[in-house]
Amino acid sequence: MAKVSLVWVATPGLIDLDPALVAKAAGMSLDQGGLLEAAVVTTSLEQAPKQLRQRLVGLPVAWLELAAEVGGGPQAHRLARAAVAVSRAAGRAAKGTLPPVYAPQPAQSVLVAGAGFGALAAAWEAAALGHPVTLATPFDDAVQAGADDDPEAVSLLAAQLPAQVELVPHSELTRLIGGAGGFNVWLSTNGDAPQTYGAVFLAPPGELAVGCEVDGLDPALCCPVSELNPEDYEGPQDGWLHVAVLAGTAEPVPSYSFSAALEAALALARRPRVQVTLLFSEARVAAPGGEKLFRDCREAGVLMARVEPGKLSLRDGGRELAWLDPLLGEELELAPAALVLAQQAVAPRPAWLDNDLLIKPWDELVPDNPRLAGGRTSRTGLYLTGALRGTAPGDARRAEAASAAAAMHEVLTGKVVPMPVVRDSFCASCLTCVRTCPHGAPRYAGEHIQCAPAACVACGACAAECPAEAIAPPGWGNPEMFSSLEWGLALAPEPKMVLFACAASGMPAVASLSAQGHEWPAGLVIYPLVCAARMSQLLLLKSLELGAKRVLVAGCHPGNCRSVTGNHKAMAKITSLSGDLAALGLPPEAMEFLPLAANQTRELAQKVAAMAQAAGEE
Amino acid sequence: MTNAQLDTPVLILGGGVAGLAAAVDLARRGVAATIIEREPRLGGRASQFCCKATEACARCGACRLGELLVQAAHLPQITIYTAALAVAAQPQGDGWRVELSPQPGGEIGPGPGRPLRERTTLNTQAVILAVGGEAFNPAGKTRFGHGRVDGVFSALELEAMLSQGALGPDGLAPAKVAFIQCVGSRDASLGRLWCSRVCCGYALRMGRVIRKLLPESQVTFFHMDVQDYGRAWEDELPELRKQMRFVRAMPGEVTAGDGRPEVTYALAGEQAIKEGFDLVVLSVGLGPPNGASALGELFGAAKDSDGFLTTDGGPAGVFVAGAAAGPRSLNESMVHGGLAASQAASRVASLTEARHG
Amino acid sequence: MRLNDCDPGFKHEVAAEPGGEGIRACFACAACSARCPVGANRPDYDPRRLIRLTLLGRRDEVLSSPLIWLCSSCYTCGEVCPQQVRFTEVLTAIKNIAAREGHAPPSAKITAELLAKQGRLLEVTDFENDKRADLGLPPVEQRPGDFQAILGLKPAEGEAGEEPR
Repeated sequence: MAKVSLVWVATPGLIDLDPALVAKAAGMSLDQGGLLEAAVVTTSLEQAPKQLRQRLVGLPVAWLELAAEVGGGPQAHRLARAAVAVSRAAGRAAKGTLPPVYAPQPAQSVLVAGAGFGALAAAWEAAALGHPVTLATPFDDAVQAGADDDPEAVSLLAAQLPAQVELVPHSELTRLIGGAGGFNVWLSTNGDAPQTYGAVFLAPPGELAVGCEVDGLDPALCCPVSELNPEDYEGPQDGWLHVAVLAGTAEPVPSYSFSAALEAALALARRPRVQVTLLFSEARVAAPGGEKLFRDCREAGVLMARVEPGKLSLRDGGRELAWLDPLLGEELELAPAALVLAQQAVAPRPAWLDNDLLIKPWDELVPDNPRLAGGRTSRTGLYLTGALRGTAPGDARRAEAASAAAAMHEVLTGKVVPMPVVRDSFCASCLTCVRTCPHGAPRYAGEHIQCAPAACVACGACAAECPAEAIAPPGWGNPEMFSSLEWGLALAPEPKMVLFACAASGMPAVASLSAQGHEWPAGLVIYPLVCAARMSQLLLLKSLELGAKRVLVAGCHPGNCRSVTGNHKAMAKITSLSGDLAALGLPPEAMEFLPLAANQTRELAQKVAAMAQAAGEE
Repeated sequence: MTNAQLDTPVLILGGGVAGLAAAVDLARRGVAATIIEREPRLGGRASQFCCKATEACARCGACRLGELLVQAAHLPQITIYTAALAVAAQPQGDGWRVELSPQPGGEIGPGPGRPLRERTTLNTQAVILAVGGEAFNPAGKTRFGHGRVDGVFSALELEAMLSQGALGPDGLAPAKVAFIQCVGSRDASLGRLWCSRVCCGYALRMGRVIRKLLPESQVTFFHMDVQDYGRAWEDELPELRKQMRFVRAMPGEVTAGDGRPEVTYALAGEQAIKEGFDLVVLSVGLGPPNGASALGELFGAAKDSDGFLTTDGGPAGVFVAGAAAGPRSLNESMVHGGLAASQAASRVASLTEARHG
Repeated sequence: MRLNDCDPGFKHEVAAEPGGEGIRACFACAACSARCPVGANRPDYDPRRLIRLTLLGRRDEVLSSPLIWLCSSCYTCGEVCPQQVRFTEVLTAIKNIAAREGHAPPSAKITAELLAKQGRLLEVTDFENDKRADLGLPPVEQRPGDFQAILGLKPAEGEAGEEPR
């Protein structure tokens, strides 16, 4: 085993700590500038001076955001915590299990499957970033727009597409496996032969559909907004022509759809002797210019009629409308000459997305999760944009494509790619990892598990679930984690406690508190995780076995996990162990999950303080 | 005295979520950028926002600021100056020459970025205006009593109160809370004839947080229409309707009652009601940035009919991101920052190509 | 009520009348209803409801309603309205149409008669002018002619400097 030295980088939060004392407490030697075998560095890779980074090339090194883990408080406590963190890192460095700087050479080519503004924007963005792009469109050419697009904007964008974009007409994606840097993709134009791409954008052309109006309207009177020609409408010389515009009578429509209905109503109201009644459950005026349009419509004489959702009743075979006017408390009736219906942009979900067992269910693939905004899905390297995602037509789709493309470029060109270590001799080929991984990284190929070159984010879900302990994300295998926990808990005074903190929520909260000089309880071992998904029953029980009185896992709130279900998995494991806690004579609060956001520092501090007090009283 | 000189491919004005997201996306694209922030600290308005999660994440995006700050601090392509203001700008060659002036109060804080120390001349090929929007000052709607009636707060003040933990069983525990929507938006009499888009979302979610902190409390939501807000919003609304009282009426006024604010409102077919609340929250709308006209003159940026800055129709090399271009949620602002980053990167690339080719 | 039987032109008719321009801008937020002092004393008086009936085109119902004559012209509704409807003036426009069509209530007719006769609602007698003289103020004259001109009962007097203030 390599001899580990402590390399101390001057950090503002650590100036009162003596590096020699920390090294001694952690059972290590302090770097004296000579040759190193293995090292723990007290700062992150990004913040380390360039010279130091060069000196450490090729060495087993554990990088440590020490200032964040130490926090404030009496110097003795700070020293103890520093020693705990350093020794934990030393365990990793000594075993040589550091993030391997892996050069897997992910494929750089990008497939955009779809058509319309969103698809062209994605193709343009990927090409601008230097990627070879294939645009597989169901249409004849790139100029044809989705029904929900502005055709002018589409042809303008099509004209700007660089020559390196290869167009494959009449082609659809039929199946996909793999992950970022190594997707295998089947196109309808390619028969059985899969092609390899580094990333895939899915942007099927949008359609306009009437979705939010009551059923049973007479089809002979109905005209969708997109097919309306206001010139066709004119009232009789001696009276009025009544037209009803329905804009979300069964349930509210999205604001872009409401704005389109308002534009239709306004054009109709400006025709001679046409009286327009706009029926809606909510006036969705949030699209740019929506409120002005709403007022312009009223000024032009459009009658605004609010209807309780779904309470519009139909008479005379769907030719007459009746509803309760909420203001007058009276029933109003209208027999319009025409019914104009608001539409929403939709794109049919490709069947293979739902039928493929290796693709996560829709809600897990494209959750409404702030960490997966801007076209991202939970599968690294797969981006889903436009109507299929429910994004409003126009500018929002362009922004979505731009944001997704930048993320894609970073994934495919990232210098340091974490790669899970799979020990083939242990692997039982049960495919638990393939089913578990939210990012689509592992797949079964040629009798062993292979990982897509750029898909892993080191969340550790696979390692937590693998029944054979055959798989470990870099630096987070069971032996390493147990050994560093052991180091840490051995040094911590009673009452010993472990805080497992997710890198997206718990750890930033720990870091902000530490930066403010927060006093952590002396016996608290802070253990950073990439994601709460890494928590296994084994790890929870091991913490207790090593003397911890309390184990707290601080992960994201449900719906905020970048790995979608990492927090749920940790919660489920803690719940499933609650019965065993009683058998061990431990209170139920010995193991807890704290849902936390990065900015909820106060909540974390309160929880840890309460936990320390309860543990101290036992 | 000659100014210090700086060169940067892209200058980003504003270190809120839109500016930070633009800088991070530029770095992902391999383009360096310099952020200048007027205030001593980065983060913009989002740094005041509370987490609105209850049983699950409310998808407000406030927690993502921390992530952006860490990324911005670590990415070598990003340079940050705080307490720095652009005071003059002129087109020069393909780009812009911008004069920066240090602002008082700049000290090195715990966050990323260093305060600007001296007057600096900065040459850049592209400028991203990400200065954010300005929330309506509720004192401008005098009849709602902000600043005059105890117990009346703006939604921004409530954000700060919630993030500081001021509300709860151990703190302020209002039994009855009212949210009044569209304060400073959808209002022709104030010349603010636009929907602020984000207020329904933030108010209902803060209402839900209050209900969780104080399960006995009653929350009333005075509104005209509930706007859409994110993809899962329609699924979320029925539950919100169960937790709170939705009243479709704009109150006439908020007055000081017997020790607590009273809200006067009218329901259809009934006489006006004066109802007491312990806490009245005014959901203030987002408007154009205060300095929009000054910035517009500085860079000749185009403005839309409401006064928000726009990229379209503006001078070459000036791009607008985030709430400066119109009311946007935090998540939308971050994605919009990505669009400005793409536009700026494209301009830098074409200028570089023209120079070498 | 069938909207087909209503008069969609009524709102445009009111908007074309001086003062009635703002009627169509209303989005029924109820701020006026909350503050109206007349509504506070008369449960059936609600500015928002009157606007709604007008927008629906229920012409006869609005013009013949005694409610439209109850407004106290305090302008509170206009002050709180976010859409600048200026309901006090809208109602004046509606009242003008109503009066033209013979819907004015007896009180309005009596008011007009008094103005035509006296130039003001209260008669000026020696009692008032004696009091004024005691205070060193000039006497006031009754100038019915000005109002007769406004009410269209006789042509306007052309003399400069005699216009009523």
